Amino acid sequence: MAKLKPRVPVREQPVEERIHNFDSVPYGYNEEEAIAEAQRCIQCPNPTCETACPVNIKIKDMIHFIAQKQFKEAFLLTKEDDAFPACTGRVCPQEDQCEGACILVKTGQPISIGKLEGFAADWARKNGIKEEIKVPSTSKPKKAAVVGSGPAGLACAADLRKYGYEVTMFETLHQAGGVLEYGIPNFRLPKDIVEYELDALEESGVEIKLNHTVGQNIGFDELQEEYDAIFLGTGAGAPRFMGIEGEKLNGVYSANEFLIRANLMKASLFPDWDTPIMVGDKVGVIGAGNVAMDAARTALRLGAKEVSIIYRRKMDFSPARAEEYEHAKEEGIIFQELVNPVKIVGTDRGWVKGVEVVNMKLGDKDSSGRPRPIPVEGTEHIIEIDTVIEALGTMPNRLFLSKAPELKTDRKGIIITDENLMTSIPGVFAGGDAISGGATVILALGEGRRAAKAMHDYIEGK
Amino acid sequence: MSHKITRKMDLNSADFYVEVEAPLVAERFKAGNFTILRSNPQGERIPMSIMKAEDGKIAMFIKKLGKTSMELYKTLDTFENVIGPMGNPIDIKKYGNVVVASDLVCGHAENYAICEALSAVEGNHVISYQTYPTADEVYPDEVLADKVCDEYHLTTEDGSRGEEGHYIDLLEERLEKGEKIDVIFAGGALPNLQELGEMTKAYNVPTIVTVRQIMVDASGMCGACRVFIDGEMKLACIDGPMFDAHKVDWESALRRPNMFVEKETVATKLCKETGRC
Ligand SMILES: Cc1cc2nc3c(=O)[nH]c(=O)nc-3n(C[C@H](O)[C@H](O)[C@H](O)COP(=O)(O)OP(=O)(O)OC[C@H]3O[C@@H](n4cnc5c(N)ncnc54)[C@H](O)[C@@H]3O)c2cc1C
Ligand code: FES
Repeated sequence: MAKLKPRVPVREQPVEERIHNFDSVPYGYNEEEAIAEAQRCIQCPNPTCETACPVNIKIKDMIHFIAQKQFKEAFLLTKEDDAFPACTGRVCPQEDQCEGACILVKTGQPISIGKLEGFAADWARKNGIKEEIKVPSTSKPKKAAVVGSGPAGLACAADLRKYGYEVTMFETLHQAGGVLEYGIPNFRLPKDIVEYELDALEESGVEIKLNHTVGQNIGFDELQEEYDAIFLGTGAGAPRFMGIEGEKLNGVYSANEFLIRANLMKASLFPDWDTPIMVGDKVGVIGAGNVAMDAARTALRLGAKEVSIIYRRKMDFSPARAEEYEHAKEEGIIFQELVNPVKIVGTDRGWVKGVEVVNMKLGDKDSSGRPRPIPVEGTEHIIEIDTVIEALGTMPNRLFLSKAPELKTDRKGIIITDENLMTSIPGVFAGGDAISGGATVILALGEGRRAAKAMHDYIEGK
Repeated sequence: MSHKITRKMDLNSADFYVEVEAPLVAERFKAGNFTILRSNPQGERIPMSIMKAEDGKIAMFIKKLGKTSMELYKTLDTFENVIGPMGNPIDIKKYGNVVVASDLVCGHAENYAICEALSAVEGNHVISYQTYPTADEVYPDEVLADKVCDEYHLTTEDGSRGEEGHYIDLLEERLEKGEKIDVIFAGGALPNLQELGEMTKAYNVPTIVTVRQIMVDASGMCGACRVFIDGEMKLACIDGPMFDAHKVDWESALRRPNMFVEKETVATKLCKETGRC
């Protein structure tokens, strides 16, 4: 066997520059780099990468097309299984999915599948190549409503349109896109990419009604009356707080508030944009997943002098994407591991001045399969910070659920669905974070599409 | 889609009146709901009380303070977004003797809306109190709540018009005399709502007040508007905006709205320098 070439590295914005802006960190592959990387693929007879992909993208053939310079074919093939390859190429945890299952992982040099996927999609966008959408013409199209415009809702709406439905999407915010717009920062997922997909959806004939909160200014019962089928892609957007002393102090944010201010409301452009954000000199982010990394790196870009991730386990057990952890380290984020906040302490004027933490040690495995962190008594000490950002995960949004009491959920408010993604209400389907409590973009996209198919079958009486 | 402003007028030296086209909000508004405004495509999302909704339009009272409202007052003739109605309406039912009280801009708007809704219910005797600092600052007659209640009290703190004193003191006198008041709804200056709550607690009068907080999404996704009620975290946007004054943790409710003051001062200054407001 010929000697394996190493991975083609992805060019990136230099650290000193990027910590002062919100532009994309990776530049992505150019054509030569993409071809060189694609040529490294050994085209296994049984591509394990494909089975490890939550939506089973035909990765092997996609890579083959890129290696042959057939970029259009690569893009269209990817599009068959993945509604937004330009997004997932950037945000999927590839090391746990396709790249983690790549046969070359043993060499430490798996194929850069995510970057190739992103390349094909970017190439298509730049060259005006679009998937051709044929909406079947029916004299009296059936009507479908999609609640929430995150990846689950977007993927569902796109497919419902392809099946010929008249689709109306309802979004509570003044901007569509869900977490892709308000949560994930531009330096990871440039917003022009998301907006390109939104435009394509509208061009295909999906009507997006912004500022419409189902259950608040439009009733769930009204939707049930007017539409033949409904998809709930309401996400899991409600923030969770630790519930410790001192959380009422000024200077404490949920990661959601911090990121919504920074991304959706463009607080980085304050005062040209109106929404302010206060970032102290020393910021502590509690938690260590993707959301925590995003909040920490955003705080740095907003001018914080020192940003720490405060985590009760060790980073080896963090659920963050490997690339984000690497980027965060390069950018100088400090990692305080094996410490757990017990209270936030404040100044006389009610502002945060520090967080009291206790050291932790790792015990036996818990239900998540990770070692359970156990507090070490008597090790309490204070980390001096003036801004606390809590990134402890989110919960399903109460607003909608409280107005739909007939919808079955579990104790936490996660919507219960059957194997066809249908909820306890016939004709009402759900997917994405609303049914998982918080997962990934690719799963949300996959479920959106699966639900569209199930809705179509349901309406056709299959 | 932007929303056309159909009328603007000065209410007093500090506040102004705005009427804007917002069919969805107008059609579904109930007393207690609020709206989220964005003045321009780069605008902040600001919660605002609604005075009345009619013919596809809503009316609001806005303070000429801060960048967005100054800009609206001076230069704009449309809003980028008028969103809602958000929040929970009050329970519109028979209470008996109802007091509705206010001493500040948004509170006065709510006062009108709540009086109008509750006086339409048979069996309610709706008493409105509107307190202003002095005669010159009293709003024009056409927007006062006297037309929508059963008993009206205009008060000024210096006694230059109407009854003398703040509504809290005047109400205390009535309660002291043993008058029966079944419920109080109040809005306006937060510290005064705290004081009102402390006063009415002694007389055991249910007191429901607007706990105005900074909001961002106003649909329960950010936690910016969190308040603590009886020790439990609630979100003013989806659980409120009105809460039992006897259960509110006032210390944090009074502190949180100051979180961005420093920044807001910067924005207003710049906006003035550039002539936008
Ligand atoms: C900061 C952050 C970083 C992340 N990073 C990654 C990552 O790197 N990789 C990854 O795979 N995943 C990541 N995730 C997770 C991923 O974004 C989510 O799993 C995914 O967005 C879920 O999609 P969804 O469509 O179910 O919900 P969402 O994207 O949450 O969209 C739900 C939409 O519904 C709207 N809505 C809610 N209620 C109503 C209502 N009543 N009426 C109308 N509209 C309503 C909301 O406003 C929202 O727009 C991240 C999440 C966050 C917050
Ligand atoms: S304003 Fe965001 S939760 Fe209330």
